[in-house]
Amino acid sequence: MSVTQGSRAKVLDRIRSATASVAADAANLHELHAAIPRSYIRKGELSESAKIALLIERLRDYDADVVECKLEELPDTIAAMLSASGRHTFGAPSGLPAAWMPSGFDWKLDGGLTHEQIEVLDGVVTGASCAVADSGTIVLHHTPSEGRRVLTLLPDWHLCILYADQVVETLPEYFARVQHPPALVTWISGPSATADIEMTRIKGVHGPRHLNVILVHH
Amino acid sequence: MSHSVEHPILDPTLAAPFPKAALPVLRDPQLRKNVAHAIDVIQTKRGKLVAEKTDWQELRSAAADIRTHVLENLGAYLEQFEERCTAAGGHVHCASDAAEARQIILDILREENASEVIKIKTMTSGEIQLNPFLQASGVGVFETDLAEIILQLGNEEPSHIVVPALHINRSQVREIFAKSMGRPELSDDPQALTEAARIYLRRKFLDIPSAISGANYLVAETGGVVIVESEGNGRMCLTLPKTLITLAGIEKVVPRFEDLEVMLQVLARSATGERMNPYTSLWSGVTPGDGPQNFHVVLLDNARSSILGKPRERQTLRCIRCAACINACPVYRQTGGHAYGSVYPGPIGAILTPQLMQMRHAQSLPYASSLCGACYEVCPVKINIPEILIDLRAQVIDQQRHNIGRFFDPLYLGLRIAGFLFSRAFLFHAAQRLGRVGAGLFTHKDGWIHSMPSVGGKWTQTRDLRGFPNQTFREWWQNRPARSSTQIAKEPK
Amino acid sequence: MHASLFITCYNDTLFPETGRAVVSLLERLGVELEFHPQQTCCGQMHANTGFRAEAYSQAKRLVRLYSDTENVVIPSSSCVAMMRDQYPGLFEELGSESLRRDLAALLPRIYELSEFLVDKLGVDDVGAYFPHRVTYHASCHGLRGLHLGERPLRLLTRVRGLDFAPLPNIDRCCGFGGTFSVKNAEVSSAMLSVKLQDVLATKAEYCTALDNSCLMHLGGAMHRQYAGMKTIHMAQILASTESTPMESFQ
Repeated sequence: MSVTQGSRAKVLDRIRSATASVAADAANLHELHAAIPRSYIRKGELSESAKIALLIERLRDYDADVVECKLEELPDTIAAMLSASGRHTFGAPSGLPAAWMPSGFDWKLDGGLTHEQIEVLDGVVTGASCAVADSGTIVLHHTPSEGRRVLTLLPDWHLCILYADQVVETLPEYFARVQHPPALVTWISGPSATADIEMTRIKGVHGPRHLNVILVHH
Repeated sequence: MSHSVEHPILDPTLAAPFPKAALPVLRDPQLRKNVAHAIDVIQTKRGKLVAEKTDWQELRSAAADIRTHVLENLGAYLEQFEERCTAAGGHVHCASDAAEARQIILDILREENASEVIKIKTMTSGEIQLNPFLQASGVGVFETDLAEIILQLGNEEPSHIVVPALHINRSQVREIFAKSMGRPELSDDPQALTEAARIYLRRKFLDIPSAISGANYLVAETGGVVIVESEGNGRMCLTLPKTLITLAGIEKVVPRFEDLEVMLQVLARSATGERMNPYTSLWSGVTPGDGPQNFHVVLLDNARSSILGKPRERQTLRCIRCAACINACPVYRQTGGHAYGSVYPGPIGAILTPQLMQMRHAQSLPYASSLCGACYEVCPVKINIPEILIDLRAQVIDQQRHNIGRFFDPLYLGLRIAGFLFSRAFLFHAAQRLGRVGAGLFTHKDGWIHSMPSVGGKWTQTRDLRGFPNQTFREWWQNRPARSSTQIAKEPK
Repeated sequence: MHASLFITCYNDTLFPETGRAVVSLLERLGVELEFHPQQTCCGQMHANTGFRAEAYSQAKRLVRLYSDTENVVIPSSSCVAMMRDQYPGLFEELGSESLRRDLAALLPRIYELSEFLVDKLGVDDVGAYFPHRVTYHASCHGLRGLHLGERPLRLLTRVRGLDFAPLPNIDRCCGFGGTFSVKNAEVSSAMLSVKLQDVLATKAEYCTALDNSCLMHLGGAMHRQYAGMKTIHMAQILASTESTPMESFQ
């Protein structure tokens, strides 16, 4: 678009003159950024078990249903949770492990489901990439076992399978684990909420109103 | 709608000066109560979480440093963002002003034959007055944030940048929804009202293929865009449509993905008093099979580059739109947001709005502050708002020095004269004596002044002033008997 | 110990009793005081309203006046904040190299009254007697500008006979704000009204502070409303003893 090309040069020019006396050479930019002092907490100090306990506490504060189990108990634990939900039709990301899809339920594997098809699902089961205990945050990178973004957005019920070694205490520890920034990230810290009416906190506006977590210990 | 404020004008080129715009609000007990209640809730939550965060000051320092570094190197980082976003399948446009931004957005929508668009709340779109422009050009705009729906359906204006409808209470919301959604049976229970909004929006999310968003952060390293939200309408607008247009001020950039570890921690605590808000989304360009396949970023200058060029004012652009300053402000607490005549109210509005207007409008805003400093204390990126307010006042006065109207401004004349009188002791002393005589004319038998003319009358509207004593301190000192060393007591234990 | 008293333009003209109290107090504590009669104003009112050049002239004059002084004591936290926060910027922009040096040498020798007592003289019990119920208002310049912290209350709570009533929402601005009080008189009054509710709820006889600016705003409303409370600068409380009660400074 020729109009915007013209403004691109104009705006960049304005910015260049505005910062002429302070801007660094492109070569030094990385160094300057690396030199920014960071004396905030980069790593937590809780023990493994205290960290897990904190995550569970935070999740339960959000009214998430949290259950712990051992690795070998996982398929049964999933089945129990799905039964207890009273729901029947569940979406699954294309890469969800088969062992995580117990029989007795109607599984819709996401090989390109339409929005309308996802809209009528009772729930969805996914993995996750990480969880941050301090803020009760579940992090999705939308890998094949975590699913497309719409899959964890439209259904009203979401079961997330988390491994204990995926849990970190602080947010900086999550970022430290990420080797290459992913193209898609969703950080989930509780079901949606609003306080727009008289600052009364109402949970569950859009997005799953029911969040369930199975925390798996090796 | 039962409140006394006529429709507020949030256009700095048209709004009444702050002292005048504040008047109807000050007389509205309901509105003042709503505002005070809302900010008390956020302040209490914020206070608790900040107290618990032992590295809060270190986070603030890092956030300020990261933002300063970006601003000083904005050109390079914007170019990096543009390159990465484009490589990831996005289209990046650059708008030098509001009119251009509006046109770019309309052109993109027209290319898609879009007759409707869903929107995530973004103050930047209010700044460029996007909604009325799109409506006039035949594109229906549907706000999707609960607060924005309330405002849109109720034909109201935002009064806060994070909780825009805080001046509206539940029965007022009920009235708006009952009428515009055709639901007369609706109760005023916030749960029921929220449910009504959820139902109202569901089909819109699924059916409308074009969306507009703002951006909390632009990540230069990856070409990524970050949206921080609570309700989930953001995720809906970012994921379901085919076309997504993100409007973002050029200053929204952070250098690297990892810098979000600082920015996300300070934003949630400052904005809503939470450790982390419910949903934060990041996407880079286009991901085949997942989300909008036609993605555009419209970068907006609109005088930001001129602020960038002023070394003392540059820090204004560090702002991450958390509204902590607004919540801490004792002036805002009494006046709410509409009095500021801008989509950006409170302390940040008082410095940002006039500068976005390049000091041609909103000259009353830098004076809409008692300089108490509460804003600076809470700002997560350490913007020294009082310092900038004083600088902007100097710019306003410098304008006034060339304006013939100055001869009719009693405060301006009074201060010029006072400046002269303070320059020489004998002039100051003479003025004190004259002042004593003059004030004497207004002093009642009780030794107090109850009423004064002109500027003094603004004081005596609500306050008495004690009469001038008949001797200044200096006169007393100069008439003291000479002191001997015996009169100076020993130091007490 | 020597000190030079910068009384401030508004204390000189409107609240000379505060100055008399400072003199009585400091001399009682063994300080030899001097007073430069050439002093006028620190320039704050002009700086804060946007009259930078005028503010600078006053600042320059003040710095020259006190260039040889050992200590400067000032019973007004807003004036001290002006010097610490704004003089460097003004001198950087408008002043000469030598003036900047003079300022840098002077600033460490400038003390707000409570700073002088607690930090320089090392006292918090100044031997005062003031048998009244008193609440303390923390002016914004003292609180956030000078970070006075515990100093004012350390001094106040050692006063014999004083019944101290803490003020709720102590960090909320009273709404004076200098010329803000007339340029935005209605908003200033709204803030004052809210503040006054907290102050009056303490049921104190006196509201004190380290700044007569806030006090004339609060006190002016108290007087107008027949509120049954008065304002008094803390210097006058600290100067009060059994033999030199508050009235002796009036």
